[in-house]
This record gives sequence, C-alpha cells and structure tokens, in this order.
Amino acid sequence: MISRRDFLWRVSSAFAAAGAIHPWLTWAADDSTIVIPGEEGMIVRSARFLDLESPPEFFNSWITPVPHFFVRNHMHEPSALDPGQWRLTVGGEVDKPLTLSVADLAKLTPHTVTNTLECAGSGRGFYQPHVPGVQWQRGGVGTARFSGPSLHTLLQRAGLKSTSKHVLFQGLDEVPGKVPPFIRSIPIEKAMDSDTLIAMRMNGEPLTKHHGFPARVLVPGWVGAASVKWLSEIQVLDKEFDGNFMKPGYRMPNHPLKPGDPLNVDDSHGITSLNVKSVIATPIDGSTTKSRSIHIQGVAWAGEADIVKVEVSTDSGATWQPAQLGRDQAKYSWRLWSHVWKAPKPGDYTLMSRATDNQGRTQPATAEWNPSGYLYNAIDQVKINVQA
Amino acid sequence: MCKRKAPGSHINSRLLSETLLVVFALSFFLFLPPLWAQSPDLPPGPVRAKVVTACLECHESRIILQQRLSKATWAKEVDKMIKWGAVVDAADRDAFIDYLSTNFPPDKPPEPAVRSSSGQKSK
Repeated sequence: MISRRDFLWRVSSAFAAAGAIHPWLTWAADDSTIVIPGEEGMIVRSARFLDLESPPEFFNSWITPVPHFFVRNHMHEPSALDPGQWRLTVGGEVDKPLTLSVADLAKLTPHTVTNTLECAGSGRGFYQPHVPGVQWQRGGVGTARFSGPSLHTLLQRAGLKSTSKHVLFQGLDEVPGKVPPFIRSIPIEKAMDSDTLIAMRMNGEPLTKHHGFPARVLVPGWVGAASVKWLSEIQVLDKEFDGNFMKPGYRMPNHPLKPGDPLNVDDSHGITSLNVKSVIATPIDGSTTKSRSIHIQGVAWAGEADIVKVEVSTDSGATWQPAQLGRDQAKYSWRLWSHVWKAPKPGDYTLMSRATDNQGRTQPATAEWNPSGYLYNAIDQVKINVQA
Repeated sequence: MCKRKAPGSHINSRLLSETLLVVFALSFFLFLPPLWAQSPDLPPGPVRAKVVTACLECHESRIILQQRLSKATWAKEVDKMIKWGAVVDAADRDAFIDYLSTNFPPDKPPEPAVRSSSGQKSK
C-alpha cells in the first residue's frame, strides 16, 4: 500500500516536474515573447502550425545556429515519433525495395553539405498586391551544415529501373482535415547528385524535432519545400508527382503575370533552384543612429550558383559601391558581405543591397509578382535616420 | 475491537491515491493553456464565433491576423479551406468572406511581430 508520506512525496514530485516544465509551455511574463523550447529570439509568424522567421540581425554569422534557424511547417509536426520504431522505406521503380532504421542509415558513410536553405515564400510579405500565406519578410532563410548519407547510395542499393524519372518524398507531418498530404518529388538527376542527402545532423548535432528528426531530405540549392522533413517514404516514379504541393503548389508562371492575375497552371513550371538574392542584416529597417560611420552588412546567396558581387547604395539607388565579400564560402551557401559608409550629414537615408551571381543574374528592382508570393528577390532596402 | 480491513481494501486505497495523484498533476497541466490558446483575439463581428470554430480548429489566430487581402482573394482562401476540411455552413460562406475582408483588408497596417524565447536564461 502506498504510504501517506510516499503519496505526498509523489504529489510534490509531480508538482516539481510540472513546475519545471511549466515555463516551457507558457508565454513569458512580460507577454512580449512566446516560449518555444530551443527557439531563441525568432519572429513568431505562427505558433500553430509552427512558422518561425529569423530576424535579419541574426544574419551575422556564416553558419546559422539551430536556435536561430527558420522553421517552416505546413501541418502539425509528428506528435509521437519513436526513433527506435522509425523506418524509412525505398520503393517504386526499383529492383530491391528497402526498409531502413536509424541504425541502418548511421552505418552508411555520411556526407556533409553546407547549404543555404530558403523557404520558397521568404519575402512574400513584401509583394504588392499582398498574397495569402505566411507573411515572411527577410528571414525565411538560414545556412547550416547538413550531414547524412547521400540519397544516391540508397537508390543504388535499391537498384533503379530504367523507368525511373522522379523521386518522391513523404514525411510524417500530421495532416489536418482534408488537406492533401505534403508530398514532393525531384527529378532523378538531382536525386542522384551526391550532394542530395538524407540529412540526420544539422551543425554537427542530431536534427531537432522542428527540423525533421530523425531524418529529412536535403536538396541543396533548391527551395526548402523540396527538403521534406520527418522523412518516412521514398518512392521512385516513372514521372513527376502531381499532388497538390507539386501542382498547383510551388509553381511559377512561364511568363510574367500582371500583379493580381491568377496563375494558369498549364502555363507554369515547378520551382527548383533559388534565385540570386541579398538581404541587409544591419542596420535594421527604421532604426536611428547617432554614429555617422555606419557598418552595413548582410548575406547573399544564389541557390546552385555562386555569388560574385554584392553592391551597396546609400543614396536610394542612384550610385552603387562594391561590398566586401566574407571569406567563408561553399557551393550552395551564402556569402557574408559588408560595407562601411560614412554618412555625409544627419538625415534620412535609404540603404540598398544588390547581388549578382556567376550565371549573370542580378537582383531586380521589383520581384516577379505571382499569386503565391514565391521567390521574392527584389533589391533589398532599409530606411535609417542618422541623428546630429 | 478493531475492525478488520476488507480484503483488497489496500488495493483500493492505493488505486485511489494514485488516481488522485494523476488527477492532481493532470489538473495542473489542464489549467495551462496551450500556446495557440493564448493567441491574440480575432476582432468582434457577427460571425466571429463561427470563424473561431472553423479556422482555429487547425490554425492559430496569428496566421489570419497577418493577412492583408482583397475580398476576391479572401473568397478564394475561404473556398480552399472549405475544400480542405474547414467546417463552414454554406449559408455562412459570404459572411465569413465579409468578416475577413472587412477586418483584414490590403490597406490595414501590418500586424506587430512577436518574438520567441527558448525559456532558458542566457549563460
């Protein structure tokens, strides 16, 4: 029989445990922040489904710490996922379907790719006219070292049939209502690229739940939607998958639309690689400074291409000066850039950044409007006030 | 003379104690609202309660509060969400669109952003 003392001890222990967990579940006392374990200082676009944006001032390091890395969820994260029970299946147009455990994947030679991952909708909030969806501004992007076996190792083991054209990924997102499941596919050529990974680690640590534990796809240089989280199923197909998140989702018009016009799905293409883009990390838009010497800095990336130049304007785009690019660089990853400018006199200034890549692409003055607000990459600009 | 305990009474007592313990601990958590329950309120309006029921079943209010859309775009969104399982009576569809387009039109100033905290004090 449980003794009275034992009972009281258990109750007090329960309270102690509850007290320890309590702060993780609630808002901070000042009501200006939401406590989300592991996610520090992020802009909360939505607490359910969880969508967290990095504020631009976090873009001051080449590698983004995981607590500062944006989170994009279309649906509920898996409510219960036991890594011991988790399995990844590989099937479809293959000779030998596979079923792999975490331990099986851990035995395969890992490969590391430093990749700038950006949500296709990052910058959506800047489009005019406004479009529906998470109103991301500058920070639906981050750079991390992703590690895990190359996808092609799994596909080679399974044995691709000659009919294989696309590779489908499905995760364990919990689908609400009648929402179509989040399923994506990529062409076999990209799937067989040794840099396309079944990523299990991020910045040297196991993936966190928000980033797809225990395994996600990493399709380097491509929009984040291709890199399916909580991966559970890989299927080799004889054609492109045509579910909702491939068509009409994640498509751009073949010809520029007039802002406000609908997308003609039959005259569109699926989004793959990221655009050329830069953002200004600091100074912060709308900020005031008393110093005339202003350190303008930010990041620039170009998906599968390389950044070759970032220019800065301090006079609303009338003239441009080259920014200094940071030393850290890798295929698929952004470059830090900086420029020191001395304001000639107190007043209001518009600072701009413009990136160019080795494919000859330069950020445009106006991004190509589309009804879903994808691939925003207009020249970035912030307004600051320099005080006397 | 002492009363003898009925056979199995210690089991009942233990069961009762442990049940009380679980109920006690659970009640602590049950009084804690989940994150999204503390989301900002949707503005008043004739169908507000129905919008809360239909939309916040899956979403947090913040995803609605940040939209700035024309009436035509709101109509497309409402129809998409109905197709995806939002429970909206056919007779309420137009009122939903009126409510959303009146409260979240393109020219309304943006919604202030809230930051996250990891809950751990910085070292």
